[in-house]
Amino acid sequence: MSSVETNGLTRRFGSLMAVDHLSFEVKEGEVFGLLGPNGAGKTTTVRMLACLISPSEGSARVGGYDIGRDSLKVRQIVGILTENPSLYERLTAYENMDFFAEAYGLSDVQEKRNRIRELLEFFELWKRRNDKVATFSKGMKQKLAIARALVHKPPILFLDEPTAGLDPESSKGIRDLMERLSQREKHTILLCTHHLEDAEKLCSRVMIINRGKSVIVGSPDELRDKIAGQPVLQVTLKKLNQKIIEAVKELKQVKEVDVDDSASRLIITLDDVKSATPEVVRSIVYAGGMVLSVNALRPSLEETYLKLVKEE
Amino acid sequence: MRLRIQKAMLVFRKDWREVSRNWQVILPIVVIPFMFSVLLPVLLVLIPSLAATPGTSLGGFETMIQNLPKHVQDELAGMTDQQVMVYIMSLYFFAPFFLIIPLMASSVIASDSFAGEKERKTIEALLATPISDSELFLGKILVSFIPSMMVTVVSFIIYSTVVDLFSFAIFNGRLLLPNLVWILLIFGLAPTVALASIGLTVMISAKVKGFREAQQISVILLIPILALVFGQVTGAIIFGPVVVTALIGFFAIIDLAVFKIGVKLFKREEILSKLA
Repeated sequence: MSSVETNGLTRRFGSLMAVDHLSFEVKEGEVFGLLGPNGAGKTTTVRMLACLISPSEGSARVGGYDIGRDSLKVRQIVGILTENPSLYERLTAYENMDFFAEAYGLSDVQEKRNRIRELLEFFELWKRRNDKVATFSKGMKQKLAIARALVHKPPILFLDEPTAGLDPESSKGIRDLMERLSQREKHTILLCTHHLEDAEKLCSRVMIINRGKSVIVGSPDELRDKIAGQPVLQVTLKKLNQKIIEAVKELKQVKEVDVDDSASRLIITLDDVKSATPEVVRSIVYAGGMVLSVNALRPSLEETYLKLVKEE
Repeated sequence: MRLRIQKAMLVFRKDWREVSRNWQVILPIVVIPFMFSVLLPVLLVLIPSLAATPGTSLGGFETMIQNLPKHVQDELAGMTDQQVMVYIMSLYFFAPFFLIIPLMASSVIASDSFAGEKERKTIEALLATPISDSELFLGKILVSFIPSMMVTVVSFIIYSTVVDLFSFAIFNGRLLLPNLVWILLIFGLAPTVALASIGLTVMISAKVKGFREAQQISVILLIPILALVFGQVTGAIIFGPVVVTALIGFFAIIDLAVFKIGVKLFKREEILSKLA
């Protein structure tokens, strides 16, 4: 079953086409990444899905509700981490949580207190609950904003750039938390990011968007295969010579050989790495080469992403 | 969809917590009413009238007194000039200022209502909640209305005490306030005028990008009230029970219209679109 389904979702700001006929589907329980450079249309897409701005064209259903007709119902079942933490800095962490808990309908006092305590403890903020948010670090604010998004136990979460502007340690902390969230609480998560590491580590599927348009959708592995093709074979030798290079080039499965003399390394492009690897290694050994290591290398998602965005 | 008052009150409580911790907002709310209810009456009317000898000229107030309706002229019969001056100034001259108090006290909070949230980048999470447009709009009105009315009522109590302290001496034990007109003014006209002004300011605040812009535009709303002040000073409009009741009715209709139009024009989907 789909948690999010969009059909030709479009948003224009004057003459600027921010989101251009975007159609995609996020399955229940899935962590789906919207990946793209700044200004690609990620935030606008999430804002439309969270009923914060209306689409110029197209439609979408979130949790089965139409974003145009049932906007209040959509807001009830969605938790959103906005681009900015959107916290009231003159209020304490607890007061912020308390306001949003009630705004999302947690009216039972005991249930509300338990939920706030559970989340603040989970995010290691319970000891600072009575401190004003203005005194918090960026990482703490981000954690509190995620806690706020979860306060009403929403089945669907929209997280817009959860690690933006954080130092590597805090980013890792937030990533670990998201991993725990998706595994422990089984939320459907739509994650907007331009951090490839986030997408690669957390998402089961990723949609790369650029200038408001969908470029490609698939799992991180599928994207690498689709765009950058098969992996290449990297062979490191004790010593490299022309005889070895010629021996490899003569093999019919070999399409291209790149030579890295300084590292005594060959980077070989093959039709099928898996089946051709033994033959390649044997030819190198017959030519007198002493093999130190053999690796099948996949291009990173970053290389794939940069290639795509550049082509666009 | 029906309007849930508890959701509007939730927005009110959250905003009031924020406002009450901001001295830049609280200070004008406290200082301006103090000026109108204590400082100006004491400096302009009561001390000069006590210092003046019997037979002091009414000076510039002659015209105002001449323009007063007959029933007010009747009230003045048999009073000394000193008593006439204190009576007119305390009961009629300062009356319209008490319409300005709630307007000035609410102006900062109402201008800040949505524009401040936009500036502080807190608006997105608020708009993402399942609080309806009308509940949000009402909550933002209440956070300006309730404190400004509390300030107005407290100012009225202080003003009445100050006036009565002086009138006790000048009118041989007679207390001038409260009277029917002032009760209608403070508990009927001031709230209805304030609601109309706050509603319009909140609407402006939702449309503009920043607090300053909202406040500058909302100052225009003071003009009709200033017209009432000048009308009263020149004797063109005198706040009697009938006039005040008619004005309450008039502003109550305006309030309803402002709320209905405000909710209709308040489109949360447009707020972020304009910021994008």
